Amino acid sequence: MSDNEITKLVIESVKEIGADQDNDEMINATEDTRLFGDNLDSMGVVFLVTILEESISDDLGVDIALADERAMSQKTSPFRNVKKLSHYIQMLIEEEKDS
Amino acid sequence: MNWLVDLIGTMGDREALVDSSGEYSYADLSEQCSKYRAEFESQIKQGDVVAILSDYNFYSISLFLALLDINAIIVPIVSEINEEIKDRIDISKCDFVTKLDKNGKLDLTKMKCEEKHELVNELKANEDSGLILFSSGSTGKPKAMIHNLNKLVESYKGKKTKKLKMLVFLMFDHIGGLNTLLNSLAMGARIILPMKRDAEEVAKLIQKYKVQILPASPTFLNLMLIGNVAGKYDLSSLKMITYGTEPMTDGLLVRLRKVFGKVRFLQTFGTSETGIAQTVSRSSDSLEMKIDDPNLEYKIVNDELWLKSKTQVLGYLNAENESFTDDGWFKTGDLVEDVGEGYLRIIGRNKEVINVGGEKVLPSEIESVLFELQEIDDVLVKGVPNAITGQSVVADVVWNADDDKKEVRKRIRAHCKALLSSYKVPTKINIVDSVSFSNRFKKKRIL
Repeated sequence: MSDNEITKLVIESVKEIGADQDNDEMINATEDTRLFGDNLDSMGVVFLVTILEESISDDLGVDIALADERAMSQKTSPFRNVKKLSHYIQMLIEEEKDS
Repeated sequence: MNWLVDLIGTMGDREALVDSSGEYSYADLSEQCSKYRAEFESQIKQGDVVAILSDYNFYSISLFLALLDINAIIVPIVSEINEEIKDRIDISKCDFVTKLDKNGKLDLTKMKCEEKHELVNELKANEDSGLILFSSGSTGKPKAMIHNLNKLVESYKGKKTKKLKMLVFLMFDHIGGLNTLLNSLAMGARIILPMKRDAEEVAKLIQKYKVQILPASPTFLNLMLIGNVAGKYDLSSLKMITYGTEPMTDGLLVRLRKVFGKVRFLQTFGTSETGIAQTVSRSSDSLEMKIDDPNLEYKIVNDELWLKSKTQVLGYLNAENESFTDDGWFKTGDLVEDVGEGYLRIIGRNKEVINVGGEKVLPSEIESVLFELQEIDDVLVKGVPNAITGQSVVADVVWNADDDKKEVRKRIRAHCKALLSSYKVPTKINIVDSVSFSNRFKKKRIL
């Protein structure tokens, strides 16, 4: 799975949440769309994370935990924007494959 | 002689009991009880602690009555797990372990017995019978509690004799099962004991023996709906369904009322510690109930129901009395809402409350909303740890249509979002074949 495909998956999920929350910025999400702190509150992140975990598990057959202590203690939050989140997911998937 | 055993002896040919081995009258019960008494009398004495290892059937009930009659302290054990049985025998410090084979043959083993628990000594000194029950505690070892059995049985005295047929759903190692048993015997009613506790078997027995009263848990009643047993068997004899041991949801009650239109629904309420309260439901369609019991006082403290009953336990054998206040109130752990005019509504267990970023979520509220979706056959809502919000809401859902999982989740979320605050909406939705429940048909929300 390429970086690009994961970004697409993240954008799709952000759009889904955006539709739920009537948020135009999220409905028209791009790589640069800001997430936590701007468009998403903590509940919003929880929903996004769950949808992403489900999609990753369904589409890729990989189970990852996106929101855990590690994610919370990153220097820059992986939930800052779409790009950072996609990178973080890519990293977790690669680790999962290596293990 | 114990008054109940006495009373049973006067009821003659009246039908008493049906189990997998046959049908028995009150005279049979009385006779079997005397037989056991004669058999063990040279060994078991008043005040001895005696475990009964058996299924729930004609013979074990006879033995129970025989032991009650000599004021023994009874430990009913229906578990089939060796380790659990051994644990319970050890904790109770049994003098004797009795086993019954399927023909009722009594096998008696004397145990090496160390020093007795103080509460047991007290019962013995007062020549009272006792009963040791184990709570199905969700964590760690089960708590052993001891009742004054004479006092408990006494509370069923003076019932009018009634020609009723009741199914006994829970076993006699559970306060609810014991309540149905004592109630039935005290009224001279007929007791139907299912061999297996599954929806099909129970429905078969209702049809065959024209059972009128069915006590059950909401989880079990829902299994009857899912199995469509009302469509397969004639359940028209049913007059009343009593439900308890876990909260009923509005959504499920509506479904039950549709299928069992003429049946009265009554909420029951009890705890192993305080016995079963006499309750009145506002109506068959209502989850509001009144505790109307001369033996019981209640009050609500921080949304939690506290009870004080004349039949409450003497104490625990292996735990502190921390659930009791110094002045004898039992903190049930059940959250209730006072809806006025003396009516209460049970909304959940305080241990099962989900804390989402400081906001409290009650599983039963979410389950009730989910039950509005016709495709949902069953549902269990629980909290799981979450790094962002502390806990988050998870729903296990039995979906009865062949839809795409993603679509199902979307529909469920949309439905919840329309009706619930966002922190209450399940973040994770697992589509499952069946939700997990305990062997007493209570939903398991805490792992």
